[in-house]
Order: sequence, then structure tokens, then C-alpha cells
Amino acid sequence: MSIDGFDGSARERLSALADGELDPSGWKTSCAAWAQDPALRADWHAWHLIGDVLRSDDLASNPRHDRDFCAKLRSRLDAEPVILAPAPADPASRRVDRRARPGRWSAAGAVAAGVVLVVGTFAVVRPGGPPTAQVALGDAPASITASPVAAAPATETTAQPVAIVADSKVIRDAQLERYLEAHKQFAGTSALGVPSAFLRSATLDSAAR
Amino acid sequence: MNAPDADAPLVERVKQGDVKAFEMLVVKYQRRIERLIGRMVRDVDLVPDIAQETFIRAYRALPQFRGDSAFYTWLYRIAVNTAKKSLMELKRDPLVTESARAGRDEDDDNPRVENEPSDAATPDAVLASKQIAAAVNFAVEALSEDLRQAITLREIEGLSYEEIAELMNCPIGTVRSRIFRAREAIAARLRPLLDTREGDRW
Repeated sequence: MSIDGFDGSARERLSALADGELDPSGWKTSCAAWAQDPALRADWHAWHLIGDVLRSDDLASNPRHDRDFCAKLRSRLDAEPVILAPAPADPASRRVDRRARPGRWSAAGAVAAGVVLVVGTFAVVRPGGPPTAQVALGDAPASITASPVAAAPATETTAQPVAIVADSKVIRDAQLERYLEAHKQFAGTSALGVPSAFLRSATLDSAAR
Repeated sequence: MNAPDADAPLVERVKQGDVKAFEMLVVKYQRRIERLIGRMVRDVDLVPDIAQETFIRAYRALPQFRGDSAFYTWLYRIAVNTAKKSLMELKRDPLVTESARAGRDEDDDNPRVENEPSDAATPDAVLASKQIAAAVNFAVEALSEDLRQAITLREIEGLSYEEIAELMNCPIGTVRSRIFRAREAIAARLRPLLDTREGDRW
């Protein structure tokens, strides 16, 4: 617990972060310091415990219980997929957005490609198709869930098309295949930087065939 | 009060993939969430499990959290729903928990020595939390007037640094430093009670 200048100010910044009063440029560094330094984690716990007790005596708890609780939760969190939510508020990513604005048409292109993909999927799905047809998209849900990054808002859009093709037979069309191949670059991401799980999985799928 | 959510920075970090920032929120809110659940669920052994479930659900749902309410308000709702769901499951499929079993005299087939009571309920733990409350209150009394006022306005009144600066007629930087020094002074008195014995650390 050395109180030299640097250490003292790192702790003071963490204290400001606890109150939501730290400048955004310092958030990442302070969080990283917390993750690396057990002494800072002990401070963090002590400060919040102090705040809780000041508000209400019955929030005083056995510190050992708190520690066990958090250790257990940490091991559960380790098993969870990492969150990457869309709409970053980070100033750096906003700059990227501005730069990308002149190329708005590529967003429209991505949407158009998505429509073509969906329409194309409907066009080749024949519920009572011949027995030689292959079930090509049947494993699409697996490729989505296996992704280590959870882009939760995208799940609503993925659910429907997957459900439609999951138990249907799909005929491969050489012309459509070539079209999808040629337009693959539009399908993975949009210009807004929002990953679209459905478009990506469909593209990967066509590439795998 | 329309103050910006003090948790917004940490929530933002979590959304950018920083799991550790979520742990910081857990350390902050675990006591409040457990107390809330403890008021809904009688069986003390179930409280930590439901609290764990609450935080995991909150973590999974965080991408949908848009900041329309304060983070804690949102977490509070998840805790209430998780506790309700557990109570309903318990009604459908009643299981005998440790504390319920300990209360039954006739059940000789399940020797109680195997079932250690959970750490939140032991007399030692109750004593430890009472000592902590006493130490905090004592340490706050011992602070200088400036430090005590700053930490009280922040923690009890929930004021922002700017509001405190206005009330105390000093720069914001001074408020930040006073609150930090107050925390350090109180934590120094708590440390003997918080220090760990068997090398388990934060």
C-alpha cells in the first residue's frame, strides 16, 4: 500500500470513477488497473462497503462472504460469451462513423444484398422438393451460437429465416451461387459497423458449400 | 433528481467487452441485491444463489440496456423477477434446503454436521458485520469537518461533485480529493477487519 504520487493518483482516479466523475479518457486505464491490482480491488470493495454502511447499517456484511460471492460469480462470468453491444459511445469509433458517411451507398448496398439473400432463400426453398435436394442451411443456427461474440439485438432478425429453412429442403442453383459469390463482400457487415448475424451466417454458409 | 447515472462509465466499458467492469458493478451492488432478495425469499440459503443468477442475467441482458433508467433501477427489476421466478419454481418443485432441514428435529437420517450453515448466517458473520458498521461510523466521526461533509454529501445525499463544490464553495478538484481522502481514512480503520487470513484476496 505505497502512497507515492503515481499510486495515490491512480487510486484517486478510481475513487472518482466510483462516483461516475472520472473523465471518459481515464475509464479504460482505471478499469485495467482494477483488473490487475488486488490492492485496488480491495479498496474498491472497502469504499463501496463504506458507502453502503453510511446509507444503512444493515448493509454491513461479512467481507469474507462478499469475497466468496464475487469469486464464484467471476468463475461463472468466465464461461459467458463476451458482450459487444452495438452503438459504441467511444469518441474514437464516432470518428470512424463520420469518415464512413460519404460511402452511405455501401449501406444501401448491404441492405439490398440482404433483401436478395432473403428473397433468394425463399425462392429456392421447396417444401416438397425432390429427395436429391440437400439440406444446406440446416446447420445455420449452430454457426450462430458457436460465435464467441454475442450480438444480442441481432437475434430477433436471425430467428425467423433460420426457422423457415431449418426443416426444409434447399435446391442449389448455380446461377444464384455465382450471384451470392459476387456479392459476398456486402453481406458480412454494414457500413455502420453493426454486425448482422444473419447476413454473415448466410454468407459463410454459401462459401462453405 | 436528474443526476447522470454514476454507473454509466462502467456500463459503457462492459458494452465494449470489458467483463472486469461488470465485476466492478457486482462488487458495488452485491450487498444491496442480496438484501433485496433476502426480503422476498425466506430461506437464507437461497439468497446468494438467486443473487448470482440475477447478476448473470443482467450481464446477458446488458446489450439491451439503453440507459433509460439508472443501472441500479434496471438491476433491481431483474433481481425482483429472478426472485419471483425462483419462488414459483420452488412452489412447483419444493426442495429441502439446508436451513429448512436444520430446523427439523425428527430428521435423523440427515446428520446436520454435513450441512454447514451458509457464511452469511453464522454468529461469527453477524458479529463481523456489526463490527464493520461500528468501525465505519466511528471513523466518520473522527474525520475532519471538510472530509466528513464531502463524503456525507456524496454517499448519503447522492450529490454530484459539481453540486458539492457549490455547497462547500470550493473547486471540483478539491471535492474529488476530499472524498478520496475521506474514503482512505475510513478504509484505514476498516482494514484490520477486512484483511484476509488465508491468502484469499480480492
